Amino acid sequence: MRRTPAGSGGAGHGTARAGADQHKGGTLATHKELADFLAEVERRAYKQAVFAVRDDHLALDIVQDAMLKLAERYSARPSAELPLLFQRILQNTIRDFYRRQKVRAIWTTPISSLFGTDPEDESDPLETLGGADDSQFSKPPAEQLEQTQVLGLIEKALEKLPARQRQAFLLRYWEELDVTEAAKAMGCSEGSVKTHCSRATHALATILKKQGIKL
Amino acid sequence: MNRPDDELARRIVQQLDRGVQHLDPATCERLAAARKVALSHCHERPEPAFGLAWAVNAISHKGVQRPYGARYLIAVAALVLGLIGFAYWQTMTSNDFSDIDVNLLTDDLPLNAYLDRGFDSWLKRVPR
Repeated sequence: MRRTPAGSGGAGHGTARAGADQHKGGTLATHKELADFLAEVERRAYKQAVFAVRDDHLALDIVQDAMLKLAERYSARPSAELPLLFQRILQNTIRDFYRRQKVRAIWTTPISSLFGTDPEDESDPLETLGGADDSQFSKPPAEQLEQTQVLGLIEKALEKLPARQRQAFLLRYWEELDVTEAAKAMGCSEGSVKTHCSRATHALATILKKQGIKL
Repeated sequence: MNRPDDELARRIVQQLDRGVQHLDPATCERLAAARKVALSHCHERPEPAFGLAWAVNAISHKGVQRPYGARYLIAVAALVLGLIGFAYWQTMTSNDFSDIDVNLLTDDLPLNAYLDRGFDSWLKRVPR
């Protein structure tokens, strides 16, 4: 596995790589290993889905579908293969959502245009940034607020990216897949992954600079 | 990928990691519930004994190919039909040849007449 569980508090990359090496033996994943893997990856998967579909409930459904498919079909695969398999399933599930949404839009757009648009849809998402979590009370309020705002802006910037660029960026840097694995998960060439990654990073740098954020 | 890009990406990912650690409890609960549902559908297979490994592997591979069964069936049926058609055509052709052979042998005209070049030129010359 690439990382320690997000909830356990220690998401160090060194630990993650050490864990990955342990599973390179090609032994089949046990029930516990699969459970640990899902526990570790579920939150990032959820956020990936949120960035893609911009709806918390749909994102949860997508992650649940992806976990179900992995457990049903690939639970007997070696544990080293689980990260790539899960990412492929997750990306395909998100793609399926886009396809269904496209088909639905063909039918619903003419109908909804008759009744007008919902004024709430036009509100700025930055205005509805969530408040600080209880666990952050140890930090000064100004710092908490700044971190929350920065995170909110980064998330909004990620949502604004073209889907493929966001996908490449998250797979390469957040999920720590190498270029080959990311290419497999995205169903494209390695060159495309590099291009998408580079463009995503530059786009994010530009957006954050415009917002006056220096990381 | 150059270094400034990697550095920026690393910092962004640090922020994302921080955000993921502070997801709201309701979402975390729903994710945990989804995970439990997924794991309840997981079929844990004990590792087969060495002697049975090949057989189990073969069976499991057969199972994987099941969705393509219809395709294979159609391909095999097409091949069988093709073979039957070819055999039928061969039989018909050989019957035609045997008819010609019989006619040639039972004809009053000797067989050597057909091999004689003069016979062809004689046929062309003789008025009908």
